Amino acid sequence: MIKTGNRRNMVSFIIKPLVIAFLLFSLFGLVWLRSHVVTLEYNLSDLEKKKIECLKERKMLLAAKANILSFGKVEASLSKNQGFVFPDRIRVIHVKKQKESLPYKASLDKKRLIKP
Amino acid sequence: MNKKRAVILSTAIVFSFFAVYLRLTDLMILSHKRLSEKAKLQHIKVEDIHVRRGIIVDRRGRELALNLELESLYCDPENLKLDNEGAKKLASAMSKEPKIVLAKVPAEGRFAWIARKLEDDTAEKIKELHIKGLGFLTEAKRFYPKGELASHILGFVGVENQPLEGVELRYDTYLKTTGGKVFFRRDASGRTLSSGVDIEAKGNNVVLTIDEGLQYLVEKELDKAMVRWRAAAASVIMMDPFTGEILALANRPSYNPNSPGSVSISDRRNRAITDCYEPGSTFKIIIGVASIEEKVAKHDTLFDVSKGSIDAGGKTIRDVHKYGILTFKEVIQKSSNVGSITIGMKLGKERIYKYAKLLGIGEKTGIDLPGEVSGWIRPPEKWSGTSIGAIPIGQEVAATPLQMLRVYSAIANGGFLVRPHVVSEIISPDGQVLSSLRDKEVKQIISSKTAETFKDILKSVVEEGGTGRSASVEGDEVAGKTGTAQIINPKTKRYSKEKYVSSFVGFVPADNPRLAMIVVIYEPKGQIYGGVVAAPVFRDIANQALSYLNIPRGKDAYETPLLVAK
Repeated sequence: MIKTGNRRNMVSFIIKPLVIAFLLFSLFGLVWLRSHVVTLEYNLSDLEKKKIECLKERKMLLAAKANILSFGKVEASLSKNQGFVFPDRIRVIHVKKQKESLPYKASLDKKRLIKP
Repeated sequence: MNKKRAVILSTAIVFSFFAVYLRLTDLMILSHKRLSEKAKLQHIKVEDIHVRRGIIVDRRGRELALNLELESLYCDPENLKLDNEGAKKLASAMSKEPKIVLAKVPAEGRFAWIARKLEDDTAEKIKELHIKGLGFLTEAKRFYPKGELASHILGFVGVENQPLEGVELRYDTYLKTTGGKVFFRRDASGRTLSSGVDIEAKGNNVVLTIDEGLQYLVEKELDKAMVRWRAAAASVIMMDPFTGEILALANRPSYNPNSPGSVSISDRRNRAITDCYEPGSTFKIIIGVASIEEKVAKHDTLFDVSKGSIDAGGKTIRDVHKYGILTFKEVIQKSSNVGSITIGMKLGKERIYKYAKLLGIGEKTGIDLPGEVSGWIRPPEKWSGTSIGAIPIGQEVAATPLQMLRVYSAIANGGFLVRPHVVSEIISPDGQVLSSLRDKEVKQIISSKTAETFKDILKSVVEEGGTGRSASVEGDEVAGKTGTAQIINPKTKRYSKEKYVSSFVGFVPADNPRLAMIVVIYEPKGQIYGGVVAAPVFRDIANQALSYLNIPRGKDAYETPLLVAK
């Protein structure tokens, strides 16, 4: 009887603090998780702000690119600075792709090397 | 004594608990709604979703209209701390007079705009002033990166991004999108937490049939022609004759859609579809087509025009030269008025009217741009005695340049009346094709045999002896027709002797048409004939356009292969 009672006391002596510790740990875990989620949300919010800024910048750059690449500007720039001219159709030669006109390719076919 | 103390203490405790209970009842039941709303206001921030119009691109995906994010300046008059010195600094940053800036600040209220959509550097200068009661809001500003290019097609929007003209107006239902609200949680210091919702709503994107390169070539040559002929106005339309896709459309005068208010309303008019003109000799194609379809004439039927004039209802109409006897083909080639009226008289007014309507004269083409007019041709019962002498040569008829181009496209494509259009596709923000606006069926209105016959006749106009010789393109055959029409003086109600409309309409390469184009020059100075004024503009544009499209020259397109097989 005495032994049994001692064992019960021992178990409750160990389990009780463990349960309390577990409850405290769980509570702390919940609070920690919650605060971590909030921190993440703050970080996300900051990133979203950055994203909006980047998108704004992207739009400005896209507009600047479209403006710079307009035909008028390209032609003016190339003709003045580089001496380019719009191609004259009369001077453009179109070459038809023909089998006969392919460059000569040496054959390394072994069969051809075998003497009859 | 102790008992008495205990009673007092316990009574105090009971009352304290009761007080707490009452307070809790007030907070949790009686004032719950008011307090929870107040808490919501403190913890939740509401923002409008940024509504952005879709972008407009050309047929090769080059951006023609897009959005910029700019900051607008507002003030809270109740909290505004703006003394004279501050007002001067603010006005200086905005490059305005202080009194103009101060006039925008009302005496009371909580919100008033001071300046909308400021440039970035101006906004930065104002921010550096740290004036209490001023704030910034980001707004979208429509931006047209190519400036004047294709302005009459694109149109423009107002300060609230409301559509006012062109594709912006016609396709507003696709380009715009609905907004809404986004809810953010925030802490005591005002820092917001992520909502996880995209704060920007984008409209659908519109793909045009326009090619920026062709549009540029057209506008460049149009500017040259305006200077060369000191013209009052001009229009050019380039179209794919088989599909009706408008490849380029330009008018002069023009405007920059980034600042549409800087020009008069008449400069913003899309003359190619909103203005009618008497087409003059280019209308002779309708008489010609009708006579071939109705078997009134063949290409070699002879007409005696040696008199050089003809009487129609008491009015004498003359040719520029006395030609003698001409074949039907030569009547068109030399643009003989006498010959055309003779054919018209043989056809009769009912058949002329029937074919004019069949070829779309007096009817809207259905182009997807706002403001198109139908033009007009009177029904036969309302013709005057002189009408039979006027209508076959393109007088007493009003047509838009686009209508005339459509008629010539029907010859180019074998007899089909296409529907001109400037938009090919609507694309969602994530790249899905929502709708393709290409026509699936096109109505054939004249036989392909008639179209082929007339194609040959139109080719002769640009050959030696024709009126449109200067439209010829080296290396390719051009088919087309010149037109020179007098303009009616609104004061005298008679044809002006000084003001003309010169035009050339045709297609190239003639046997395998890739481009159909009309050039209309209003009130040129120095020369009046379509063959002299408009035809060279056609040639210059066609030459460069064919080169741009990498279309080989017709007969001698391919040279002997240059690669040596060795």
